[in-house]
Amino acid sequence: MWIKLGSCVLVAATVAAGADIHGTIIIDRKLSRHNVTASMGMYQRGVAVELRADGEMDPLAFERSHVAVYLEGGPKSPVTEFPKVSIEQRDRRFVPDLVVIPAGATVSFPNFDPIFHNVFSLSKAKSFDLGNYREGQSRLVTFPVPGLVAVYCHLHSNMAASIVVAPSRWAVRADKDGVFSLKDVPAGTYTVVAWHKSAGTFRKTVTIGGKDAAVSFTLPYAEPSDASHVAHR
Amino acid sequence: MRFATRTFLSSFIPFAVLLAVSFWAIRASVMQTVRDGLRTSVRDNQVALASERARNENRNRKLLEGIGENPSLKAGLQLLASEGGAGGQARNTVQDQLSEISDSLNFDFMMVSGERGEPLAAVVRYAGGFAPVNLSSLHPPEQGFFSADGRLYEVTSVPIREAGTQVATLTVGGRFDISQFGVPAVLLHHGTVIAAQMRDLAPAQIERALAACSTAADCELRIQDQQYLSLPLGGPAGNGDDSYALRSLQNVDAASAPLQSVLRKLFLVAGFTALVAMLGISALSSRTIARPLVDVVTHLRLSAATGELPEFPETHGGAQEIRDLTQGFNTAAKAVRESRERLTRAYVQFVGSLAQALDARDAYTAGHSRRVSEYSCAIANAINLSQGDLEVIRVGGLLHDLGKIGISDLVLQKPGRLTPEETELIQQHPVIGKRILENVQGLEAYLGIVELHHENLNGTGYPHGLKGEETPLYARIVKVADAYDAMTSDRPYRRGKSHADAIAILRSVSGSEMDPAIVEAFALLGDQRKQPPFTGSQSLRSLSEAVQNEIDHSLPAGTAAPEVAAQEQEAS
Repeated sequence: MWIKLGSCVLVAATVAAGADIHGTIIIDRKLSRHNVTASMGMYQRGVAVELRADGEMDPLAFERSHVAVYLEGGPKSPVTEFPKVSIEQRDRRFVPDLVVIPAGATVSFPNFDPIFHNVFSLSKAKSFDLGNYREGQSRLVTFPVPGLVAVYCHLHSNMAASIVVAPSRWAVRADKDGVFSLKDVPAGTYTVVAWHKSAGTFRKTVTIGGKDAAVSFTLPYAEPSDASHVAHR
Repeated sequence: MRFATRTFLSSFIPFAVLLAVSFWAIRASVMQTVRDGLRTSVRDNQVALASERARNENRNRKLLEGIGENPSLKAGLQLLASEGGAGGQARNTVQDQLSEISDSLNFDFMMVSGERGEPLAAVVRYAGGFAPVNLSSLHPPEQGFFSADGRLYEVTSVPIREAGTQVATLTVGGRFDISQFGVPAVLLHHGTVIAAQMRDLAPAQIERALAACSTAADCELRIQDQQYLSLPLGGPAGNGDDSYALRSLQNVDAASAPLQSVLRKLFLVAGFTALVAMLGISALSSRTIARPLVDVVTHLRLSAATGELPEFPETHGGAQEIRDLTQGFNTAAKAVRESRERLTRAYVQFVGSLAQALDARDAYTAGHSRRVSEYSCAIANAINLSQGDLEVIRVGGLLHDLGKIGISDLVLQKPGRLTPEETELIQQHPVIGKRILENVQGLEAYLGIVELHHENLNGTGYPHGLKGEETPLYARIVKVADAYDAMTSDRPYRRGKSHADAIAILRSVSGSEMDPAIVEAFALLGDQRKQPPFTGSQSLRSLSEAVQNEIDHSLPAGTAAPEVAAQEQEAS
């Protein structure tokens, strides 16, 4: 609940070059019906699997940590350095199940399960099919076009991951407290976009002028559902 | 058998049998009806369950067909096909998929097999997880039961199609626990019981009983004297493994037992009550019928015991037949009484006549036979002989000298000593008497006295010279009385001896000629001539009087006089 208190503090954004944008995602109710259950280990014999044995996460923290935040618009600033991003397949899940990357970044899909996986996407921003590959093997995919990419496995229909391909290099995930920061944003006017798989896309305009800016989002659902998150697929 | 008993039994037994048979028949028919009704309801129940089970199977099938369309599974099968013999991990992938589906849908067994039915991958549920199954040892049917690792599974199969072509078969199933089954059921494999709900029945018994049943039809059987109903359960055998057979097996008798027990009690109580009522009615009626007859019979039995024939009192009530019977008896009894009296009279007349004829020959021996008879009777009474013995002795005494009829008067009445020839002649009289009497029917009892009353104890008597006890007691008694009277009577050639002298002489020959016991008994009685003649019982007295009367009446007054005179003389 201290998050709420924190959200009351609004600091006026001042325009300055190379300033940071700090912000908070406020979510006070569950947005998705996410069941945190342990998946059964591979060929367990005679060992009972305890549900939620991998540690229960606060449902709201789960929601907050599954919000992607990135900047749109503003002056052009080409990406020079791409982060190393990978989505692993472990215990029939994609880990992590949400990554936020700048356009042009490459994601690796290593398989750590003792079974085959077949990772694919049919999204508009990037469609690919990596074919069946076994444990220890990996595939690389580059995402040049901004947009949302939903990733699935042909063999395991309940495996899903989202890749948010941002048009700029300022692209992050909020942490479990909903706190994010976009560092060294040059002066200009930007649109801060917050995206949640279930809630939708939220936008706020921010003008950077040398001083750190603060922006916060209160999510439940996007008011007009333009279904853009669906259209992006 | 008594009349009353016979009447009772002949009325009671047929009714009791009729009652028992009709009750038994009614009971059996009611029981049969109840049992039939219950059997029908049990059968309907089981048919409904069987069809419900079939419907469930059908629904499950539809659900399974949905699973067969699972794209992930299809992708897995494609993977398996493309990887082929490279093996391990592709199969693991499919097994993992199967485990996941089984886990979410709660199956205990899942298998995919290829186009030719070759098993590709299979998993079974273990405690808390799933494990792959060794495919080489696994031969589950497409539908039905199979057993693996000591567990029993019931499975069904659906096709996995691609573009309308079956590319694989998915076989899923659950553990089969017969104790969870809704109806009492039994599972057989090749006719052998492998699971049964009936714990109280030995598998061998069930197998034996079910052997006669056709696999497809419902069937009634008897186990341990109980009626069972068995219906085939489960889906169509079709392409399944028909070595397994799931059948319901319900005890119809047990189902109808409570009702049957109530009915049995009811019938028992009703039957027993009716039987008791019947018993009472029979007893009462037999008593009513038999009572007058029993009275008559009691009366007759009393008559037979006493020898008297009293008349029945005139009865006005009772049955006509009983009245006729008693009247008939009365008439007959009267006739018998009359004829008996006539006979007695004739007998008495005969004996009296004989005695009279004898005594009449000699005035001096007049009354000898009567006196001997009286003395003998007194002795017999003194030594406690029976009434019948007394009767024999009395008559025997009267007749003892009958044989003297055949002895010439010259010899018999000769005064003075007899020549040896004459003595021999005299000594013939017992034998002559015997010869006379032995031809008369009814006098056999007196022959001994007549023939042997001159035998001596030491064998010196006549006619046979018998010794001691060879001579009958009757004859020995009469011999003493005869000797006494002969001695005390007057003769033409001498006066009679006194009582004391006579007793003394008797004692002197006691042991040699006379029986000492009889002599002593006679001596103790005292002088018989001074006492009223011994008559013994009433009947004897009447007989004696009758005889006396006969003698008195038939004798001319003159001939009777000497005897009376002699008696008077001796009394003085």
